[in-house]
Parts: sequence; structure tokens; C-alpha cells
Amino acid sequence: MTNDLIWIIQRLTLVDFTSLDFDELFGLDDSGPLMMLIWIIPIIVFVFYGQRIQLIITSGEIKKGIKKLALYKSEAKSELLDHIQKTVSPKKDPAKKIDIFLDYFTIMPVDADPNGVMDKIRHIVRSREDYSREQIRMLFPEIDKIELAKVQTMLEIATALQMLHKFINHMFLTAKKQNNYPLILPLQMILPFVMEEAEAMREAIPAFRNGQPIGDGIGPMVVGKMMLETKKETISFQTVLGTTEFEGRKLFLLKAKGPDSVVGRPGDAVKAILEKSQIDAIIMIDAALKMEGEDSASISHGFGAAIGGIGTERYQIEEIATKNKIPIFSIIIKQSVREAITLMSKDIAFQAENVLMQTREMIRDNTKSGQSVLVIGVGNTVGVSQ
Amino acid sequence: MFSKKKPTIAYTLERCPLCNMETKRSYKKGDVLFSKTVKCSSCDGTVVIEKIFGETVE
Repeated sequence: MTNDLIWIIQRLTLVDFTSLDFDELFGLDDSGPLMMLIWIIPIIVFVFYGQRIQLIITSGEIKKGIKKLALYKSEAKSELLDHIQKTVSPKKDPAKKIDIFLDYFTIMPVDADPNGVMDKIRHIVRSREDYSREQIRMLFPEIDKIELAKVQTMLEIATALQMLHKFINHMFLTAKKQNNYPLILPLQMILPFVMEEAEAMREAIPAFRNGQPIGDGIGPMVVGKMMLETKKETISFQTVLGTTEFEGRKLFLLKAKGPDSVVGRPGDAVKAILEKSQIDAIIMIDAALKMEGEDSASISHGFGAAIGGIGTERYQIEEIATKNKIPIFSIIIKQSVREAITLMSKDIAFQAENVLMQTREMIRDNTKSGQSVLVIGVGNTVGVSQ
Repeated sequence: MFSKKKPTIAYTLERCPLCNMETKRSYKKGDVLFSKTVKCSSCDGTVVIEKIFGETVE
């Protein structure tokens, strides 16, 4: 070791630093040896390690997203538990049971043979809804139906956030484990959309907790207003029907039963109405996702069943309408994902009169005196009575 | 990028169906659309909740 050091010192004393040509070494043009190295080394590094470097940079962004998702997930759960403690005051700590609920999954039916698949999906989705409703009722026997609907909705939000976190985390960890950059690309692409949805869900919790109307409730709000002085009856599960007259036409007004946080079962309701009465036109009023660049709360008219969700209600309404040759008209109120599930914005709330006016105009334009029209207010009716 | 989230405040708009007088107040827990709340201050009518909405504070 000591010998090596002596040798290095001797070599250094032999180098004549005064004779070094710095211009030649650094070369003002690109041909200098050091400049060549400065150019070539990064090229070699990027050729062999480019994907890995990109993976590291992208990983940072995705990690931030996953951290946020984990935070939203735990916030949703603690909000739910806090709401249960304050409103229901359970005798036992519900945290363990809630944890089990949050991990529930739904296996969609096999669609290799699509015949009858919609009925199967409807059965599975409704079984899940009924099961979680009954479980909440069993867990908190004193809970009233408004609070039960709130807890069920908040549980759905918490479950969805948990699922999003699990899915994104799984994709990220798999890509990292396998050093698989192409696998991280789709994740990087979908992450902004996932985050937008997750942030909207997080912001939706206070509105559902307080029982305030949300943007999606504009349809029920309009139909609820039309229903005010009418005779009402429960036509299907969590769905209410009112009948009235308008300029010689018979109006059937349908919406989910408010002010609970429910969407009702309009498909079953339409079936029940048509078993007893004849309908000449269906008008559906619903909130719809706006495209980028479109104004929030703008109104559009169209044809076909305006109803979201998994598609079972839409399928049922379309099938009945086709069988009975009933035209379906729709009025949509455009809004963003966030606006649709958070407290109703002023712009959307103040469009209710316009929507009502346009609905009446649509009835006049498409039906004659003596005919019957079914008007459906589609959406979550939290905070909206009738 | 560095913009702070603006808070949203919930309001309730009440209207008397007889004299059409409108009052905007802060949202109270239990407010529900179309529910009748109090007697109108200017006539014999009963005030109805017409709208519940959020306004962003600038």
C-alpha cells in the first residue's frame, strides 16, 4: 500500500503540468477528446439504460399518485366510521366489519355466451346491493332508512377508493418488480383520469354525509318539482311515481324516492307502469359528463335512454320501449365528474327552471292532447324530496 | 400548479310561493329541497326550500 502511494507521487512529479494544451484537451469545437466523451457517454448511457431512467422518473410521479390514493382511501374510511359513531352510536366497534365490507368484490358473469347476460349482471349487482343493505341494518339495528342510504353510499365510495388504490399499486409494483417499462406506460396514461375520479369521490363524501343535493340530482330535482302537488305512490323499490295533467296530456312522473341517497329502480318502474297504462313517449332527464371545452350546466336534447350506471336499467328501459314502440327523448345537463358527485353547483341548480321549461316544450312538440308521457328524473336523489 | 383549493360554501335558497320573496341563507343540516320551513316574514305563506347549492369563495 505504502509502495503504491510512493509510486503515484513519483508519477505525478514526472508529469509536466505546464506543457498541457487545454485548448486541445477541451477543444472549443466538438472534436476535442473531452467534448467527444461528454457527447458519447450520455448516448451510450441512454442506449443501454434509457428505459430504466424513464422508469425511475415515471415511478416518482406514480408513487405520488399512489400516496394520494392511499390517503383518500383512509380518509374515506375514517369519515365513514366517524359518521357511524356520531349518527348511529353503535354498541360494538364497527371498524372490523367495515374492513371486511371494503374488501368485497363482485365477479361479473361469463359473457362468452352473451344470451341473457344483462339479467345475470342485474341479479349479481342487486344481490350485492341488497346484501350490503341488510348487513348494515343488522350491524346497526336502530338506523333509519335515510342514514342507511347515506352509510351505504359512503361505503361504496370507500370501497371504490380502496379498489383504485389496490389496482394502481398492483400495476406499479408489477412493473417495478419486472423492470418492465412498457407496463408502466398505460399506468402513466390512465393515472390522471384515475386521480380525477378519486379526487371527485373524496370531495363527494361531505355532500353525502350532510345529505346535500349533488350535481347528478338535477334530473330528480326537476321531476321532483313537477311532482310537488301530485298524488304519489311507490311503484318499485326506492322509486316513486306521481301522476298529473299537462295541457291535455297525462303525465307520469318518475324519480327515486328522496331525500334518501338512492337512485331507485327506474327499469322495474317503467315495466310496472306499462303493465297498467299506455305510454306514448318517454322523456328522460339526467346529468351527463361534459366533454373538455364544453360549458358546465349546458343543456342538450337527444334521443335514447339517458341513464348511466352499469347498463342494466338502460337495457330494461330500451327493451320495454322497443317492444311497445315508444320513442325515448332525453334532456341532459352537462357537468364534470367532480360536479356530478359533489354538492350541486350554483350554475347547475339555477338551470332547473330552464330544464323544466324545455321539458314542457318537448312534451308539447312530441305529443298530442290526450296522449300520455312518462317523464323520468334519473340520478341520485340525495337531499331532493318530491 | 401552485393554486390553493378554493373552499365551497353551501347555501339554501328559500322562496315563498305566495309573494315570491326569496331569501338566501347558509345551509343548515336537515335542509331538503322542496321542504316547507318557516312562515313567510312578509305574508301568510310558508317558505319552501327552492335550491341548495355550493358557491366557491374567490
